[in-house]
Amino acid sequence: MKFDSSTYRFTEPGKLGKIALSAGLVFLVISVLGYFQDSAQFFLAYITSFMFWLSIALGGLFFTMLHHLTGAKWSTVLRRVSESAAGTIPLMLILFIPILFGLHELFHWSHPEVYDPASPSLDELLKKKEAYLNVPFFVIRAVIYFAVWFLLSHYLTKTSVAQDSGHDDKLTGQMRRVSAPGMVLFALTITFASFDWLMSLDAHWFSTIFGVYIFSGAFLAIMSFMILVGYFQRRRDVLTDVITVEHYHDLGKLTFGFIIFWAYMAFSQYFLIWYANIPEENYWYLYRWDNSWKYVSLVIIFGHFVIPFVGLLTRAAKRTIPYLAVMAGWILVMRWADLYWLVMPTHHQGGFHFSWMDVTTCVGVGGLFVWFFWKRYTSYAVVPVKDPGLEASIHFTNT
Amino acid sequence: MNVSAKELSDSSTQREILVLGNPTFEKITEAVSRIVEGKPTRWWYALFSISVLLTIMLFANLVYLFWEGTGIWGLNNPVGWGWAIVNFVFWVGIGHAGTLISAILFLLRQRWRTSINRFAEAMTIFAVICALLFPAIHVGRVWVLYWVFPLPNQMGMWPNFRSPLLWDTFAVGTYFTCSLLFWYVGLVPDLATLRDRAKARIKKILYGLFALGWRGGNRQWRHYELSYLVLAGVSTPLVLSVHSIVSTDFATSLLPGWHTTIFPPYFVAGAIFSGFAMVMTLSLIARKVFKLEDIITTKTLERMNKIILVTGLMVGYAYSMEFFIAWYSGNDYERFAFINRAFGPYAWAYWIMVSCNVIVPQLFWFKRLRTSIPVMFIASIFVNIGMWFERFVIVVTLSRDYLPSSWDYYSPTIYDIMLLVGSFGLFFTLFLLFLRYLPMVAMSEVKGVLPQADPHYNHGEGG
Repeated sequence: MKFDSSTYRFTEPGKLGKIALSAGLVFLVISVLGYFQDSAQFFLAYITSFMFWLSIALGGLFFTMLHHLTGAKWSTVLRRVSESAAGTIPLMLILFIPILFGLHELFHWSHPEVYDPASPSLDELLKKKEAYLNVPFFVIRAVIYFAVWFLLSHYLTKTSVAQDSGHDDKLTGQMRRVSAPGMVLFALTITFASFDWLMSLDAHWFSTIFGVYIFSGAFLAIMSFMILVGYFQRRRDVLTDVITVEHYHDLGKLTFGFIIFWAYMAFSQYFLIWYANIPEENYWYLYRWDNSWKYVSLVIIFGHFVIPFVGLLTRAAKRTIPYLAVMAGWILVMRWADLYWLVMPTHHQGGFHFSWMDVTTCVGVGGLFVWFFWKRYTSYAVVPVKDPGLEASIHFTNT
Repeated sequence: MNVSAKELSDSSTQREILVLGNPTFEKITEAVSRIVEGKPTRWWYALFSISVLLTIMLFANLVYLFWEGTGIWGLNNPVGWGWAIVNFVFWVGIGHAGTLISAILFLLRQRWRTSINRFAEAMTIFAVICALLFPAIHVGRVWVLYWVFPLPNQMGMWPNFRSPLLWDTFAVGTYFTCSLLFWYVGLVPDLATLRDRAKARIKKILYGLFALGWRGGNRQWRHYELSYLVLAGVSTPLVLSVHSIVSTDFATSLLPGWHTTIFPPYFVAGAIFSGFAMVMTLSLIARKVFKLEDIITTKTLERMNKIILVTGLMVGYAYSMEFFIAWYSGNDYERFAFINRAFGPYAWAYWIMVSCNVIVPQLFWFKRLRTSIPVMFIASIFVNIGMWFERFVIVVTLSRDYLPSSWDYYSPTIYDIMLLVGSFGLFFTLFLLFLRYLPMVAMSEVKGVLPQADPHYNHGEGG
């Protein structure tokens, strides 16, 4: 790995990409073997892993647009990380295709007989949702989501990179103008994608806050990811004077804030359902609590909220970079655990069930994600070199 | 006020110019203090007299209410909660913008907030006072109001801790205390300025008393800034928690249309939305009457409009989610509640709500419109109206419950209306007194964002 600090480019991107790609392919092949052993479990594990890595990409898209919209200066040096994370959307589209082959395993509503009045497996409740929960519309929606995400991330990255080759401050305004409606589209697409790919795994259950809950997780995922990418480079003496402790401090503050925001979403949803105690919705929590899933639920309460909350509370915690990186890694593990807890119990309502595929698919999808991310990230300057706000971002301090 | 982008950034520090006309510190002090020190204008007297009259009407109404009981209101059997709760939620919501501006925007380093934060905080406090009035009077027997507090007594009687109404007591009480403290701490340096400038002895003593011996020394500033940061940190969760708890008044119930998980964040977004609209209305009047156009700049107003647009979109998102999930739930009662809202007897209220809260803010997508004073003034009034109707729409969901034979149409009586109008009187009375006796712009903070306050000022190209 060689880095040219005058052009902010990697002249030689190192072995990371190759390692990630081979690990990804090997683990995906191993996971496919699992498909022949237990196809339902394979798809459950796969969609968990897919949603985990996709949430980093979507978080990246959100962070990039937020940066443009607020006109923030401090985050300019981090923008290429979030842009490149969002740039993995084409890869995620390809990785989405296997899910289409697992619809019957994953989604009860995808079986035509549940809508068939003549069939004994007719589901009266699902019948009322047929207009939304059906395979053709599901596929059309997925195409729309990916089209929106691709067009936005593609435009923003393309424009941002174009700015590198000249002092064109107008492009900053253009990216801002696209980000504003982009945000609206993003909010709608991530919400309905989370309804489609996560909430409808248990198609009887519904919650109005679910989209915001998934969004809060995606934001945490990109925050942790940016901290880790920064730290990875820092260990190799890359960008040490550019992404300074001040930036980590701000990333830490936002991560801390969104840990609370995530908990606020999770608690709002849980608390209102617990309090009202209506069978049509409380059962979703009951099968996550009345059996061995309880321990996973407890891990999430403590691991996803209590530990990061206490662990990121102090100023020193946010400014000690190796420590912050450990916390970021921990939060990513918890992000995976949260998605695991959303997906797995829907099909293992009796109790906790662990499969080796849960891990291999995550490494498999993750390997490809990291490879693609790194390939994009190292293909241009790793900071927007001609951005009018770059100088202010590098010298920014928390005072 | 035609200022080009170039003039808006100071070349020596690359910082944005937030106050126009490059004033000295003294000019800022002068511009703000003269409002308090001079004689009030005829405008002030006119507005104050109207407000006081309305407040008198409010108190006369309260006397009648306490004498007769809540039967004078338009409550009927399915709608046991009428305008009292609507007004309560409306006023608490208004307050949230003040806290957001003073706490969250401070933590997010939004320096443009300095010109509006003082009176936004004052607005918070007065709005919370108006809000607290309604739950207090709706209990009917106000003389036993202290029962809401868990006071040990020989009857061994305690409030129901499982009731969201009790949580309201604590949530709003905490909110009021913290907001008052935050506001007061921020006022201290400015009170000292007024003390030092005061000519009358009584003013010197009173401002001096509340300035707590402030001398503006280095050590005092350090303590001041630290406590300000801590109070901002404490107030930030309050922005979210207070209205979340208010939302549980509805959402913990089993009622279709009330029981939905998005209520806490949806209420918070709505609160900030309505609060910003109110700050906008007030600041547009204040800057015009007191000639503060250089301090509360069009750019600041534009930013507030962007926040109104964003929070308006969030509220629109929440309306759509409610509607979609009501359908998606497959629950006939849920579906009915929403169809009934949009097309039932209260459809007029629902569509006023949607038009004011979702459609009107869309004007602010256009720079021309969000920098136009008349447009933003009218839009802010519409948002205020729309947000009142939002709570009304939620409450009158009660009018059609599970049993069609008990359905009824709720309409307010003249006393309901007089109480609402009277609460505006109380709010404006307090607000006008504040404008008259306290600095409405945080002088010390505005000075802090002037270019010459920057330690690197003059280091650039020789000043």
